[in-house]
Amino acid sequence: MPGRHSLFWKLTLLVLGFCLLIIWVSWSWGGRIEFRGYLLTQAARQQLLGYAAEAEQAWRSGGAQGVEQWRAQLQQRESSWLAVIGRDLRALGTRALSLDESQRLTSMREVDWPMSKRASGLPIIALPFPQQPQDGQLVMELPERFLPEGFTWHAQLLVHGLLPCALTLLLCALLYRLLITPLQHLRRQANALRGEQLDARTATHISARHDELGELGRAFDHMAERLQGMLGLQRQLLRDLSHELRTPLSRLRVASESDLDATQLRARLEREVSSMQQLVDDTLELIWLGTERPQPPLEPINLASLWALLVEDASFESRWPEQQFRCLLPAECCVRGHLNGLAQALENGLRNAIRHSPPGGVISLDGHLHNGVWQFWLDDQGGGVATAQLETMFLPFTRLSAARPDGDGFGLGLAIARGAVQMQGGAMWAENTAQGLRLNFQLESV
Amino acid sequence: MLTANLPAARILVVEDDPLLASHMHQHLQGSGYSVCLSEEGCDGLQRAAQDDFDLVLLDILLPGISGLEVLQNLRERRGVPVILMSALGGEQDRIAGFSQGADDYLPKPFSMVELQVRVEAVLRRVAYERREFAPPQLDPQLQFDDLRPDVQLAGHWAELTPTEFRLFELFVRHPDSLMSKAFLYQQVLRRAYSRHDRGLDMHISHIRRKLAAIGYTAGRLETVWGKGYLFTRESV
Repeated sequence: MPGRHSLFWKLTLLVLGFCLLIIWVSWSWGGRIEFRGYLLTQAARQQLLGYAAEAEQAWRSGGAQGVEQWRAQLQQRESSWLAVIGRDLRALGTRALSLDESQRLTSMREVDWPMSKRASGLPIIALPFPQQPQDGQLVMELPERFLPEGFTWHAQLLVHGLLPCALTLLLCALLYRLLITPLQHLRRQANALRGEQLDARTATHISARHDELGELGRAFDHMAERLQGMLGLQRQLLRDLSHELRTPLSRLRVASESDLDATQLRARLEREVSSMQQLVDDTLELIWLGTERPQPPLEPINLASLWALLVEDASFESRWPEQQFRCLLPAECCVRGHLNGLAQALENGLRNAIRHSPPGGVISLDGHLHNGVWQFWLDDQGGGVATAQLETMFLPFTRLSAARPDGDGFGLGLAIARGAVQMQGGAMWAENTAQGLRLNFQLESV
Repeated sequence: MLTANLPAARILVVEDDPLLASHMHQHLQGSGYSVCLSEEGCDGLQRAAQDDFDLVLLDILLPGISGLEVLQNLRERRGVPVILMSALGGEQDRIAGFSQGADDYLPKPFSMVELQVRVEAVLRRVAYERREFAPPQLDPQLQFDDLRPDVQLAGHWAELTPTEFRLFELFVRHPDSLMSKAFLYQQVLRRAYSRHDRGLDMHISHIRRKLAAIGYTAGRLETVWGKGYLFTRESV
């Protein structure tokens, strides 16, 4: 069943209205034209009424004799049958009406009635005397030449041919306006995209529509946005990556030209290669998360267990005692997520917290369950960041302080962390607390 | 003891980069393996199918026929263990999808130490599968129930999952023996190990919590950072 805003209903209304319009117009208009076609022309009417006046004149001046005389005269001009009769339907002339003639008087018509030959023979018309209608009337068979043409072929062509054609043209224009004009607009936008104008977007009057074309417009905009974002990200990443690779490369170049002994050179080589590998791996990971938007299967994950293993690694790496990592979450806290992704996100958050913590600082994991969603956070005591950096810190290759110790990452950790959480349908953001930075995670509860 | 005591293991390396191939050759030979090199997919496939190798190291991007096709063809004829090598990093999850049939997956660039660990893990698993085992040496505290499968201490069940049970049983059978992550993935989880995979770590974390919850003190699962895990008995 099409939705409430579907084009289906618009098309249905349009076509239905059109059908009714055609039926109504050709029925009522056609009927009227046909009716008019059977009426006598004005000239014919004048002529006939003129005869009636002559007949009255003859009756007044000459009585029955005069009428008979006039009738004989008229009969020479008009070959059709005629009679002048009184109110009692008897002849006013000297000659009485024959039986056949009397019968004709029963089917008389007024002069402004429609005439048709469809009845037997030509119609008989009653023309009352113009001055004294009560005195009598002229009755005559309509002369052949006055017979109206009726519903002529060109009137039929007009009503049954041209009129529906014109209405159909109107319908097509409406349909075109409704359907094709927006499509043409979309085609122009698509061509603009092809011409690498990535900022091309659908006009608001189309994308704000509620029907299928509006959906198409919005899908187009979404696609253009993805393309633009992706291309921008790729260009940015490529630029940053090349830039970042210069540091270890230039160090290697210097090392190769210096007179270090083999052991030192090997150690230097090892360190720089590891950092380059880390950089390339992280960049690929970020690109993969950003462009392929993987949707891994989700599973229940116990946060306390995950925290325990992350702390074990972190305390080994940073040589912090495990007491400096605290888990305040209840033991049964279980979220629905992707284990490797969540572990990576938390691990990167943890590394970031360790990096910015003062000596002896405490990092804690806490959270609460609200409406079936776990919101949990990592708190450090590193003093937090400027408000403007709360969002930019999630951009790749963003470092909060320019003076960083050697080998301190490339500013990809939080970008990857956010990508990994979003991949699981969750969210990640940062805020400042009284003591330091709080990294918030949000994931569905089991 | 569970050691990879197989000095005569024969390894076929199918790798088209001559420099990397000669390094691998040198290193593996230095570790006591007998190594054959092949630079091309078709040739590699032919040799792997004809000769009796213990392990094949297979690059994915090869001239001519791709490593994945070689793997598919080889699987129709032989069950020899295969480790895939590839520079398609960052996409481990996807690789894992289409490298069905390989025993492990090693992303490039890798160190020779890493290579050695993976090779040992696969050979060790194969050796382990061929061996007959005496009934498990009883833990001083725990009772093992293979059917349930779970362990209990003084009437309290630890509620281990089947995977956790198999993992723990493996550790208990071989106390004080370092188990590399690559081997544990091979032996218990039956899948290739990748850098960001935390499945094994989670199982270990669960086992520790569950055993601590029932008051187990006779042994400890220790992390040997960067290498793997070790089960040690406490002297009680």
